[in-house]
Amino acid sequence: MSNNKEFAFFPGCVLSQAAKESKMSLEAIAPILGITLHEIPGWSCCGASQAQCVDPIASLVANARNIALGEKMGMPILTTCSTCMLTLTKAKNTLDKGAKDRINTFLAEGNMKYEGNTEITSLLWVLYQNLDTLKAKVVNPLSNLKVALFYGCHSLRPERELTKESSTNPKSFEAVVEALGATIVPFEKRLDCCGFHASYPAGKSVRKMSSQIVGNADSNGADVVVTPCPLCQMQLDIYQERYQDENNSNIRKPIIHLSQLVGLALGLSNKELGLDLNIQDATRLVG
Amino acid sequence: MKIIIDRFDGKKKYESTYELTSAEIESKTLLGVLLLIKQTKDVSLNFTASCRSAICGACAVRVNGHSYLACDTKMEELLEEYENPESMRISPLNNFRVITDLVVDWEPSIENLRKVKPTITPKSEFSEKTGCVQTQADVDAIKKQWDCILCGCCASECNKLEADASDYMQPFVFTHAYRAADDSRSKDPMIHLKPAIANGLWNCVHCQECVDRCPKGISSFGDIESLRVMAMKKGLNEGMGPAHAEAFLLDMVEGDGRLNEIKLALRSEGVLANTTKLDIAYNLMKAGKMNPLHIFGGEKIEGHAELVKMVEAARKAEKEGTIK
Repeated sequence: MSNNKEFAFFPGCVLSQAAKESKMSLEAIAPILGITLHEIPGWSCCGASQAQCVDPIASLVANARNIALGEKMGMPILTTCSTCMLTLTKAKNTLDKGAKDRINTFLAEGNMKYEGNTEITSLLWVLYQNLDTLKAKVVNPLSNLKVALFYGCHSLRPERELTKESSTNPKSFEAVVEALGATIVPFEKRLDCCGFHASYPAGKSVRKMSSQIVGNADSNGADVVVTPCPLCQMQLDIYQERYQDENNSNIRKPIIHLSQLVGLALGLSNKELGLDLNIQDATRLVG
Repeated sequence: MKIIIDRFDGKKKYESTYELTSAEIESKTLLGVLLLIKQTKDVSLNFTASCRSAICGACAVRVNGHSYLACDTKMEELLEEYENPESMRISPLNNFRVITDLVVDWEPSIENLRKVKPTITPKSEFSEKTGCVQTQADVDAIKKQWDCILCGCCASECNKLEADASDYMQPFVFTHAYRAADDSRSKDPMIHLKPAIANGLWNCVHCQECVDRCPKGISSFGDIESLRVMAMKKGLNEGMGPAHAEAFLLDMVEGDGRLNEIKLALRSEGVLANTTKLDIAYNLMKAGKMNPLHIFGGEKIEGHAELVKMVEAARKAEKEGTIK
């Protein structure tokens, strides 16, 4: 990141709506870290692991188009949404393993072509690959902040699709947060699922899952839960009060995006990082 | 190194710790270590194992909270995975009732398998004379699912089962349901599909643990997705799960190209249920994270007309049978 890193940016639907502070904080930290983001013009919803259960061919075509749009820009595709990253990566794997020619016949209807020459990556992974640069930019080490790191399923699994690191014993998130100087607390639920994708059909289970994650972070002494996935952040933050009440818990915990934590270490203000937009108060994390 | 084993004598839980030298671990599988402990250190330790060849599925256990098929897991791989730890904890599979030590009760899982009728009811045109022939392509479509050895690794790590097993079956049960439903010799996929839907097909939380833990490389999550697609094609689209999934597709293709969060909530559970979430909507609006006017739709993405053309071409080809 010392040299300017340019990315075709795939925000994903949630970053313009219920997790807009994730986009704000990403855009605030990017220039400091030497990252330039060029939003992909005309990107569409990736299907979020849901449309795939209704019409897999439509979803594959839409994501082949998304990747092809990024390819045209001649730079790697970056997204901060773990589900977008997994969905785009799965589509890319399917295309590269034999579906490319067939799907290109459909993309040709819009004069587009998938080539297969672009990498898809996440903010977490870019930071992990540039730890020294990240460390050098820290002006406000977060040693007084006790953080519980919640990976979110689609940052890690399925390992054979994402191929970035072990989903059994991952290291990237810890390494990035250590570089920021924060104190990482033990957190047994760090690899668990928040349940976001089944929050409608399996509401009761999901409320329990989310509540246990917040409770586990608290019992390990965390001041805050941090996650690289905006969907996990949304699930644990927006609905927290209701879920905790339902599970007879008084615990309330700020849930912040990875980009917000990075921003705090880089010395940015609550306002610049959109911390005042989080539902659970996250404005008093750094004194 | 220390091997800590979670024990259960039928009444109380406790743990036993065994010190093993490097020589005792070297070149062994995880099952080899369990056998060594039983044979040389503690004859009272109970576990199940049979084939030693990764085909019977009897020896699955958890190590440090993740499931492994013991006979198919080399100790050196485990040591590498956990970076040469001083100790490892071996536990029985999660989400199963423990009978004793590492032995778990399979009867409820077998009952679930029975529900989806995993054997084939052949099409009526088959006879003793003509046989029950499949093409190679038909075999290939379900070949992977036949590899399931009922070890339970996927069920052990399933986040949904851990939260509540009362409305959800084990991931491998869905794999067997799909294998039977997609078998070209089967009389009617509904025989397998309907009980899969009735027993939680739409309740999977997409955690993908089943995919990563399967020692045979089977994706039960993929099979759940395939069963859902099959259900939607056959018009079995009642309920919140199908409505929620369909809402994403509608916004992506028929809508503006991007998800409309207000419409999503309404489409997924209806207007009435959403009135109980007005406090959450108010919080989001107050934070500027929800625009109520969005209910009337947003701006179409650049190139949306072309996206629709591409999708329609693909759907047409699929309908005509030029793609599967």
